[in-house]
Amino acid sequence: MIQQELQHLYWRVGFGLNPANFNSLPKNRQQIVDAIFDNSKSTSPLKIDLSFMNGVTVKYLKENPKFAQELRVTSRKKLADLNYAWLNQLVDAKELLREKMTLFWANHFVCKVNHVVFAQKFNNTLRTHALGDFKTFVKAISKEAAMLKYLNGKQNKKNQPNENFARELMELFTLGEGQYSEKDIKESARAFTGYNHDFDGNFRFKMKVHDQGEKTFFGKTGNFSGDDIIDIILEDKQCATYISTKVYCYFVNPKPNKKHIEAMANVFYKDYNIENLMRFVLLSDWFYDDENIGAKIKSPIEYLIGMVKTVPVKFEREKDLLKIQKLLGQTLLSPPNVAGWKGDKAWIDANTIMVRLKLPSVMLNNAVISSGENDELRKKFFKKNKGKLPIKVTVDWNTFLENYKNINPENLQDYILQGNSNKGIADFLKTLSKTSKQEYCVQLMSLPEYQMC
Amino acid sequence: MDRRKFIKNSALASSLFFVPNFVKAFESVTAKQFGYKRLVIVQLAGGNDGLNTIIPHNNDLYYNARPQLAITKGIIKLNDDLGFHPSLSPLRSLFDNGELSIINNVGYPNPVRSHFRSMDIWQTASSSNEYLQSGWLGRYLDQHGKKPYNALEMDEQLSLAMKGEHFNGIATNDYKVLYNTAKDPYFKKVLNHYNDAHLSEHNLGYLYQTMIEAESSASYIFENTNVKSSQESYPQNGFAKQLKSVAQFINSGLDTKVFYTSLGGFDTHASQNNKQTKLLSQYAESVSAFVKDLKRNNTFEDTLILTFSEFGRRVKQNAANGTDHGAANNVFVIGENLKKAGFYNDLASLSDLDGNGDLKYNVDFRSVYATILSSWLNVSAEGIIPSKQKTLNFI
Repeated sequence: MIQQELQHLYWRVGFGLNPANFNSLPKNRQQIVDAIFDNSKSTSPLKIDLSFMNGVTVKYLKENPKFAQELRVTSRKKLADLNYAWLNQLVDAKELLREKMTLFWANHFVCKVNHVVFAQKFNNTLRTHALGDFKTFVKAISKEAAMLKYLNGKQNKKNQPNENFARELMELFTLGEGQYSEKDIKESARAFTGYNHDFDGNFRFKMKVHDQGEKTFFGKTGNFSGDDIIDIILEDKQCATYISTKVYCYFVNPKPNKKHIEAMANVFYKDYNIENLMRFVLLSDWFYDDENIGAKIKSPIEYLIGMVKTVPVKFEREKDLLKIQKLLGQTLLSPPNVAGWKGDKAWIDANTIMVRLKLPSVMLNNAVISSGENDELRKKFFKKNKGKLPIKVTVDWNTFLENYKNINPENLQDYILQGNSNKGIADFLKTLSKTSKQEYCVQLMSLPEYQMC
Repeated sequence: MDRRKFIKNSALASSLFFVPNFVKAFESVTAKQFGYKRLVIVQLAGGNDGLNTIIPHNNDLYYNARPQLAITKGIIKLNDDLGFHPSLSPLRSLFDNGELSIINNVGYPNPVRSHFRSMDIWQTASSSNEYLQSGWLGRYLDQHGKKPYNALEMDEQLSLAMKGEHFNGIATNDYKVLYNTAKDPYFKKVLNHYNDAHLSEHNLGYLYQTMIEAESSASYIFENTNVKSSQESYPQNGFAKQLKSVAQFINSGLDTKVFYTSLGGFDTHASQNNKQTKLLSQYAESVSAFVKDLKRNNTFEDTLILTFSEFGRRVKQNAANGTDHGAANNVFVIGENLKKAGFYNDLASLSDLDGNGDLKYNVDFRSVYATILSSWLNVSAEGIIPSKQKTLNFI
């Protein structure tokens, strides 16, 4: 594979490729893709310190409402720790593809809870099933404490069904809008009655409030359980098409290609095995087509992690990470609603484009982007004002220089940017002084082109 | 460039995160244009429970359907049938002054109970079986806008409502930050070299286009906004902050026709009463401060405020002391020159509900939009509202 294809592959299954690693990769596509899957065989669950919950019981909480209140506050604070832990995992992960898929599924099975124990458990369930069997995956999600809380599954009882989960199960998780009737929602909601969880977040089925009557769903009648409903939904090939479309738009090109999606759906419908689907995509010739390279607008997380993987930084205050995510419009564990982030063009508006263009210089170069105008004066001025910068980072330029030591500065843009640049900008880049690789890197990262992957 | 001047410019251009305390002369504020009509949208996201907002306090069906959830105490009775939720007391004077019109039972045929879909329907003014990629205010801009800042959303992200076929409004929750960033000399050079020959459809072209618009709009807004124009004290919450910014822009005479604000959290499937009480207080206190601010600056008479939510909630409460997604809901119109203030129409029957147990609509939300377009913004609704709608007579 040529450099451009390799970078393309690694931007989609991860967050870009370090040129220092080029030579250690196998030579042909099949071998490289095999290696990517081999590296993702294992799973590294997130595990933050949750000892604040040690010894806490339901009974104790009921008797000590004030303590219960404090515990909720601690839990919300711990969510920030979970956010940092996840970001760190994305930077360091050995299981590149598994982590990228976890990120993908987190914006598919969208869920937001303040209970940090449930949030971590849910996140690890995404990770466990990320490349596994989709049917098992959906069933596991339907029984997650976080989801039972988020979409009111706990409140779904025989005498008073709550349709929230049943609706989103079909609309967002499996089939897409308009593929079912209101009656299908009502009937399937009955099948999920009695789903609940215990204090630790383990699934509990409460037979007493489960509706054991006959349900008619998608033309079938029977005493269906929640799992039965999921089986029936997945019999519809529309589910394979719906998931394939989402995978295509995320991993290949935001503009769907009907022919390729149909081919993917045929593969996926056979056994709903996610790994097989992903292998098919990454081995297809069309995955490497010119029109797919650099066609995607990076999500804020792809943008941030990609930048940090190119130039390692250490955040001196973890809080800054939350600030950056918020400004960019994507805070992990805090999706806007159950439909998740819309992605693509929706990432970019007047504000976010400016934040993205300015952030590399703020993080890496005391907010200076060299422009050939008063550069020395500006550098001095900004260095003096470094303390006022709202983000405090230690930048490890040495690692960058080491990783890029064999790259001629004249060619750095081919490694930092994906896809074709605007013609006028390509000419402009030629005119820039490239005496400092670091400064040229910051200039490249401060372009609209850098937003693409 | 001398050093002093340079440092001054650099301080402005420095970085996006810290906003220095600007000292800027504001002599050049644009002359106030009289008769320049503005529209302010307030979106209550999540599906506000209209029945506990405007309460049918004399209706047994209401109390029977909501044994734990019905509001029984502190209702502000506005007539024999309907009254405000206690949290809406700051709006009482608007109601009494004839500056508030409440339109009941607003909705559309075959209502969708998904937040996202129903919000899209409200924002695009589509039918429930029709998918539009542009918003109604965006299409208004397509026809009548000149600059992105003609429509401002007080948020980090632009709603579909504000996206036209080829024209977008601007989303900004801090215009100073936007300005500081846009002024970087490197960006100026990049934009000078950018060749926009054939890129508008492409994603990269979209990025450049947004960058260019951001730059010119940031300058315009920054240079024309008078920070001192708001003297009113607002409550401390994010929604009030949005309205305060809107008041600053309006009172500075910005060339902006449409403002979009949003208050979220109304999806009250469980323990509704505490949440809704808090949210409605935020809403009413903020709107009340906003109106006072505009009145003090004589800009209220040229401002219309429309409040909506993507749907109402089920008449019957659920087991968790909450309500599930419903259908028709009330809409608030606030302004000085209302033709029909108070209650525009009666609340729909609580016994004749639809198959899901939800209120039936009898005013199409698109006729509310069409009325605002023709009677307030003085433009034809054609090409903006896709279906033919009759005009109502609330303004």
